This record gives sequence, structure tokens and C-alpha cells, in this order.
Amino acid sequence: MANTADVIVIGGGVIGCATAYYLTKKGCSVLVLEGSDHIGNGGSSRNGGGVRQSGRDPRELPLAMYGIKNLWPTLSEELEVDCEYHQDGNLRLGKTPKHLEILQGLTDRAVACGLDVKMIDGDEVRRINPYLSNEVIGASWCPTDGHANPLTTTLGYYKTARKLGAHFITGEKVVELRKVRGILKQVVTANGNIYEADTIVLAAGLASRAIAGTIGIDIPMQSALLEALVTEAEPKMFDQMLGTAEADFYGHQTKHGSFVFGGSSGLEGFNKDNGTPICSSITASCICRGIMKYFPILEDAKIVRTWAGWMDLCADKVPVISKVEEVPGLVLACGFSGHGFGIAPAVGEQLARLIVDGTTDVDLTPLRYDRFKAKI
Amino acid sequence: MKRYDLIIVGAGPSGLSAGIEAAKKGLKVVVFDENAKPGGQLFKQIHKFFGSKEHKAKIRGFRIGEELLQEANDAGVEVVLNATVTGMYQDKEIIVRISDEMHHYKGDAIIIATGASENMVTFPGWTLPGVIGAGAAQTMMNLHGVKPGNKILMLGSGNVGLVVSFQLMQCGCDVVALVDAAPKVGGYGVHAAKVARTGVPFYLSHTIVKAEGEDHVTGVTIAEVDEKFQFIPGTEKHFDVDTICLAVGLSPMSQLLKMAGCVMEDNPKKGGQVPICDEYGETSIPGVFVAGDVSGIEEASSAMIEGRIAGVAAAKYLGYMDETELKGKVTELEHALESLRQGMFAPKNRGKAIEETEEGIAISKNLLKHGFVADDEIERFPGVTHKAGIHPVMECTQNIPCNPCQDACPKHCIKIGEKITSLPAVDESVDCIGCGMCVASCSGQAIFLVDETYEEGYATVTLPYEFLPLPEKGEKGTALDRSGKEVCEAEIVDIKTSKAFDKTNLLTMKVPADMVMKARFYKRA
Amino acid sequence: MNSINDRSRYIGEFVPAADDDMLICRCEEITKGEIRKAVHDGMFTLTEIRRYLRTGMGLCQGQTCAKLVKGIVARELGVSPAELEPVTSRAPMRPTEMKVLGKEVKEEE
Repeated sequence: MANTADVIVIGGGVIGCATAYYLTKKGCSVLVLEGSDHIGNGGSSRNGGGVRQSGRDPRELPLAMYGIKNLWPTLSEELEVDCEYHQDGNLRLGKTPKHLEILQGLTDRAVACGLDVKMIDGDEVRRINPYLSNEVIGASWCPTDGHANPLTTTLGYYKTARKLGAHFITGEKVVELRKVRGILKQVVTANGNIYEADTIVLAAGLASRAIAGTIGIDIPMQSALLEALVTEAEPKMFDQMLGTAEADFYGHQTKHGSFVFGGSSGLEGFNKDNGTPICSSITASCICRGIMKYFPILEDAKIVRTWAGWMDLCADKVPVISKVEEVPGLVLACGFSGHGFGIAPAVGEQLARLIVDGTTDVDLTPLRYDRFKAKI
Repeated sequence: MKRYDLIIVGAGPSGLSAGIEAAKKGLKVVVFDENAKPGGQLFKQIHKFFGSKEHKAKIRGFRIGEELLQEANDAGVEVVLNATVTGMYQDKEIIVRISDEMHHYKGDAIIIATGASENMVTFPGWTLPGVIGAGAAQTMMNLHGVKPGNKILMLGSGNVGLVVSFQLMQCGCDVVALVDAAPKVGGYGVHAAKVARTGVPFYLSHTIVKAEGEDHVTGVTIAEVDEKFQFIPGTEKHFDVDTICLAVGLSPMSQLLKMAGCVMEDNPKKGGQVPICDEYGETSIPGVFVAGDVSGIEEASSAMIEGRIAGVAAAKYLGYMDETELKGKVTELEHALESLRQGMFAPKNRGKAIEETEEGIAISKNLLKHGFVADDEIERFPGVTHKAGIHPVMECTQNIPCNPCQDACPKHCIKIGEKITSLPAVDESVDCIGCGMCVASCSGQAIFLVDETYEEGYATVTLPYEFLPLPEKGEKGTALDRSGKEVCEAEIVDIKTSKAFDKTNLLTMKVPADMVMKARFYKRA
Repeated sequence: MNSINDRSRYIGEFVPAADDDMLICRCEEITKGEIRKAVHDGMFTLTEIRRYLRTGMGLCQGQTCAKLVKGIVARELGVSPAELEPVTSRAPMRPTEMKVLGKEVKEEE
């Protein structure tokens, strides 16, 4: 087994797999080390599948817009897997005047960045999605948003990168980054193996903090356990991606017919776990109650599974996507804060550009690792 | 939130047994079961169980279920039915669906006794209506009174396949063949023998090539397989059937344990994914125990003992019992469990080729290959003797943990001895009175009474008979041999039914004297 | 758990077989051929197979097909089925209507 490559990617999630794919396509030899037994085992397989621009922080919005314009539309053909990408708009729903205020704020900021998004009233919401209850009094509407299947997209990147020659090893948990003669070179794993490359991309989600710490870099992030659920297949109802101002649920109907909804109980940051992302006993019920207020018609839809996943929640809720000049060779891509899936293709492609060409099409400066400052 | 000392999931043999032991020690116990009736699989079991008196041997399964329920009620165990445990969370919290609500409960201890589910095998047409699990067939006929089909092929020669084949015939189905890809019968020889002698052909080293039919099963083709389980061309055999029954093993339903975070292992010897647990059934989560099939596939008899062990262990865990009392109880129970895990079908012998009985007698090869002991093999077993006048012939040829016949004989002419797996032998110094208690006591229906000198040129054979309607006295029919082949004419000279026989009827048929060691079943004209 | 799994190791080429169109996961209508092909696409674990193809994600939650899928994947990889870790179990153990799951009761003592 070759233990050297041009680039080592730490983390086999959607970010790691996409980066590996675009790097391989550019002719780099790539080695991906995944700590768990499975590719895409963290948030990549546990998220709600949103491919949104609306509702995003202006610092990461350009990445989202870039991906939706340039990458998502042809991704299924490119990866030879059905990513189930739908560009049928995103409705962010509001039930109270307070909600509308929040939505207006998000909308104003997005419009300032050049995004086509607007506020619409309850009747117009129901013209777009007739299944919504009368409790909904307004929404922000972004027609170019959409959703995709996170499972097939992540595994599609993996499959295609692997086919092109990227080398993936799972069950190989990275514990340390090490310099040789003062230059970052080695990746040490819990199994005692050492791999070498001149460029190391750290895309290991929450685990990135501890790994970066071994080379003296800290990314301020913490975990939060989010939960989601899926129904049995239902007749086709609508194609939009949905969210709410209150963030009580989000999700969409999949190609399969099932509804995938994520949501919260309000206790995400404090949920205790047993070492695995285990669901709490109260969240799924709470999500159901939340959904039924918007979609009373779904009350008989059967929930077949619930699951949980850890977010890598950055201090300012946007990711770190950045070269680390003080540790040449280190590239960070972590802290996606629960909304990394939709921008994953853009992140992977731009990182490959950054590593190989030394430049990017999207300005990544606002996402630098050294942006965190004390408040006074 | 409502809290119990002990929550048990599953009101089958192990769950109820656990509840009984714990409640007897004063624990507040609740048992949840998703079914409308308690007892798990016990209420489908209309056959008599093996084992010793303490293991409720020779009692029919559903009666054991009734006894357990009574015992649970007497002990104050709360049994909640139609209550589906949908999840087990941290802090030993469970969510139970009862009617249209989700109830949250916590237990200071939890015992998971959820049992097992049926395995499937694939072949072209396996998804056609008419391909069903043997357990499903049992549920249909024994719980709901629905005949699963008319002409049926059974795949699987383990005890489930054998027992269910017999039950299918009892409910009036025609079992056209019993098929298994393995080269030898997997279940108890006595179960196989009682099926074979009714005329069901056994096809070992055979499996299903395809199920035929457009929108339901109309036929099936089987073929012989080589030692690598590849079909041997030219060996295909076709049967017209409307039902294919699959009895190809069980898998532990251990999902709740896995969800809760118990350390699991994949153990083919236990039937699949099971939690790692200690001798008391305690998993890696303190206070969470397992019992029965969910911890490894075995028989209902062992499930009941495992349940009792988990029940007392939970009592100890919650301080209702001290270490000494626990040790005492468990030693006793483990002794009982150990005695059930003896013999050639013991878990430790799974997959081993056993050539000889514990007594050093060569195993019947024909029994393993065709489901019945051949004429030239039967005489070597200790239960088979000859003498003038009526006497028992015990065609019990494998070491299984079972001894009710020993106690059944009022004259004590049947000896098994200390070791419960020993083959029964006849004490020829004692005269048989022909009462038939031994015949009815044998859960394997392997004991016959023969009178080789009934009258000039004729002998009688008294056999256990569990089919309805019963023949009439004086009726003439055909005697079948152990292979199910018609061998001679037979006349019914006596029919005995008695409460003590517990629905096993004794038919006495008169056959030509030279057929006395061949005729083993009666076929009505 | 977490044993090194080199995804570039050679497992042979995908060879079509006569029974590739046989349904394995009945709920989601996934065939044996699709499962075998997914292994050659790099899906070396049962969890990846499930996420890639939806095997065991239907109403029965893999109760029927889990062992079958395991056997097929193991054969394709040339390992013993016991070496493949079964997929995670997820609540609810039985499909539950949203209006029921949303109606929680916490009885008092």
C-alpha cells in the first residue's frame, strides 16, 4: 500500500470525497483517510439534503451560488450516479410577524449579494405549495434553490474519485500531523501508520479541531447533536426545499417519495450522547409536531427511521476553508456548522483550484482560519 | 416519568419467565408485547415439548404458555399487550406505542426478550405470493385457524421445518416433499421419522431451483446440489404446489439493544447479531439484560430458563437479593440449562459430524439422509427388543435431552438413567401391561407397543396418532413402513384416547406377523 | 470496528450472473445485480450499500433482506459474512404515523 501521495485528505465525508475527486481530475495523486468504517459517515449522510443559497451568511453565499450555477446541474452525469438534484426553489416559512421579520432580514442580506430571493405572502406560498396550512402567513422564496440526495452524492464522489485512482482507506483514524525538518509532511494514525504528502487537507468535521491542534492550530468549534427522520414513500406532492424561520423543521420530499425532515427540540447543544450519535427520546416527536403544524396532511405518514448526527458548529457558524500560511502545506475545510452539503461541490472544486492552481474563482478570504477575534 | 423496577420487552417464554422470578422477589415489573396475545411463539406450538419433568417435557407448547401466564399473574407481573416498544434510549428509557400514543417509561433494569425473526432464502420466484415462512404458516393455522395452502413443499429439515410439516399435515395439507440443501437432516431424528412415515419424501442435498407461477405459486422445481451447493444438471424434480414453506433458520431481533448502544457481536453460532453478555445475560450497559432467542437462537425450553436467570439477576442488580441467594438460584438454573444443552444437538456440537451415540452405537445414516431409520439399522438400538406378548419398541436413536418415557411407565420398565440424553432401554425383566402411557408420553412419537404373538400369523402395532378424524374400530386400511411405503393391509383393532394421553390417540392395528417391525403408520382407505 | 479497509484493493472484475435480476430487497425493489455492482463501485460496507442503494430502508427496515444482502456482499468481497458489520438499528422499530409519534404521554408515578 502506497503511503505517499501528492495530497492527503483527512476525512471521507462529502467535503473530503469531493475534494479528492476534483484533485484527482486535475491529475494529483490523492490519499483519503477516513477514521470510521464508512465513507460519508458523519453529517454527509445525516443531513436534510438542502442545496440552498437563501438563508446563508454572506461570507459563504458566493460559494453556494457558484456551485448551483456551475456544478450541481451536471453533477449526476459527471459522477454517473443519481444525485437527485432538484432546482425547484426554497420556501422559508413563517407563521408569525416575528418570523416574517427574521425572513425579511435574511432576504435583504441575500439580495444585497445579488441573489434572486423575495418575500411572498401566505396565498402565494400556497400557490407554490398547496399542501401548506393556513398557519403559514408568509415566506421567503428563492426559486434557484433546491435539494439533492446527500447519500448518493457523497458516495458518488467517492465512487468516481476511486475509479479515477484516488486511494481511500477507511478505519484509519488520524491522530497527529507531524513536521519533518520543520515542514508539515506526515499524517500519523491511531493504528500507528504514517502517511506522507506535501499537502494535507483537513476535512474531518468535528475531529478536525483535535487533529489541527497537534500542529498548533485551533479552530473554535463545538458539537451539537441534530436529529432527522424519514417517512415511508408517499405519493408525489411537491419539489421545493423547505425551511422555517423558527428552524423547527426543514426538509423535502425525495425522488423515492419519502419525506426527509430535520428539526430540533431546542436542546441540541446540550444533548448527551453515549459515544455514538444516538437520538434523544424526545426530539423525533417534537419534529413531528412541528411538521404537522405546517403540513396537517402528513399526519398519517409513517415515520420509518430517525437518526442523529453531530454538527461541527463553528464559533461564527460559517466554515473555515483556508490555507494555513504559518503551516505551509496545511489546508483546512471544516466547521461547516450544519450547512456544508449544499456547498460541498463548490468547496471541493475550489480547494482543488487553490491547491493545484494557487487561485480560486470564489473569494475564500472571509472564511480564513485566523478570522476569530476577541470581541473588544 | 413513570418508572418501574423492571421493564421487560417481549411476553414470550423468556420474558414471562423473567417477570415471574423478578416479581416473586418483590420487584415492580411490567412486560410489554406488541402482539394481541402473550406467549410469543409458545401459543403456536401444539406439539409436546422435549426435556425432563422440570422442563415441562411432554406438555404441549401452548399449555406451557397458559401455565406461564397464570404464574405471571399470580406473581403480580403486569403484562401490557398491543404495546410496541419502538425505541430504547439512554438512561434506560423506552418509548412504547400503546393505541395511538407514545408512552415514555424508565426502568431501573430492562430485560430485552424480543425473540427472533425468520430467515429467507432467494431463488427465482421467491417473492411470489405462496412463498411463506414456516413460522407464518404456523401462525396462520394454529393461531388464526387458516389453512396456509393445499399442496406444500417445505424447505428446511431443522426442527421448525419438521414440526411445521407435521402440523401442516395435521391441518389437512398435503406436504409433497421436505427439502434441504444440507446433506443430512438438521432436526431431531424422531421429528423427521414421524413425518417420513406418513409418506413425505425427504430430499437432502437438494434445494429450490425456482418457484413457478405468474401471480402466485403454481409449482416448484428442486434439484440436487453438490458439496459446494451447486446444482447438478439433470437432477431437477418438479412438484405441483400452491405453497412453498421456508424454514431456513431464525435471526435474533436484537435491534433495540443495538440502538441503545449495547456492544454487539455477529455470531453465526447464535444465529446472527447478538449483544455480548455475561452469564446472567447482562449486556455491556449495566442493568440491561437479555434472555431467549434475542441472545442466541435456541429452544423455548432454554429460553424459559434464561429468562429466569435474567429475572433473578435483575432482582440482584436492584438489591432485592444478595449475592449468595443469586449464586444459589443461578447455579440451580444453570444446572437445568446445562442439562438441556447436552446431547448430539447441543449448541457446542453444531456443525460437527457425529458418527456414534454416547452409547457407542453407530448413528442411523438413513435417518440423516432420508428421515427414517432403515430396517437393517433399527435393531441395534437399546429401545428395540423382542419378546413374547405386548412390549414397547422405542425407536429413539439419537441422544437428545428428554426422559418423560422413563417416568411414564407405571411398571418402570423403561430406563434412561441419570443422564438425560441416554437412549431409553427396556428392562426385559418387567412385564409390560400395554397401558400405552409411554407411547403418549413420547414427544417424538417414537414409542410403539408391539405384540408379536397377537394371534396366529398376526401381530399388532400400537402407534401414536394425532390426526383427525380418528379411524373406527374394525376399519381396514393400509400400514405404511418407516419410509411411508405401503407394506400391507392393516385392521384397526383398538383405539385408545385418554385425558392422560393429552390428545395423543393410540391406534392398535393388526398386521401380518412379518410386518411387525416394519409397519409404523396407518393410512385410512 | 474501525479496522483498516483499503478501498483500492483488487476484488476482481464485476462478472454478470444469470440471477442478477433477482429481487433481494423487496421493499425497495433492489436486485442482486445492483448490490453486486455497488460492491465493485467501492461500497465495501453494508452501511454504504444501504445508503447507496436503499436496501433495507423500506417498511420492513431490513428485517427480511439484511442477511441476504450481507451474504451477497461478503461473497463479492471474498470475506466471511461475519466480518461485515450489520447496519445500525434505528427507532421507531415499527413504522409509526406522525400524529402518533407526535403524541407523547408521560404518566406520573
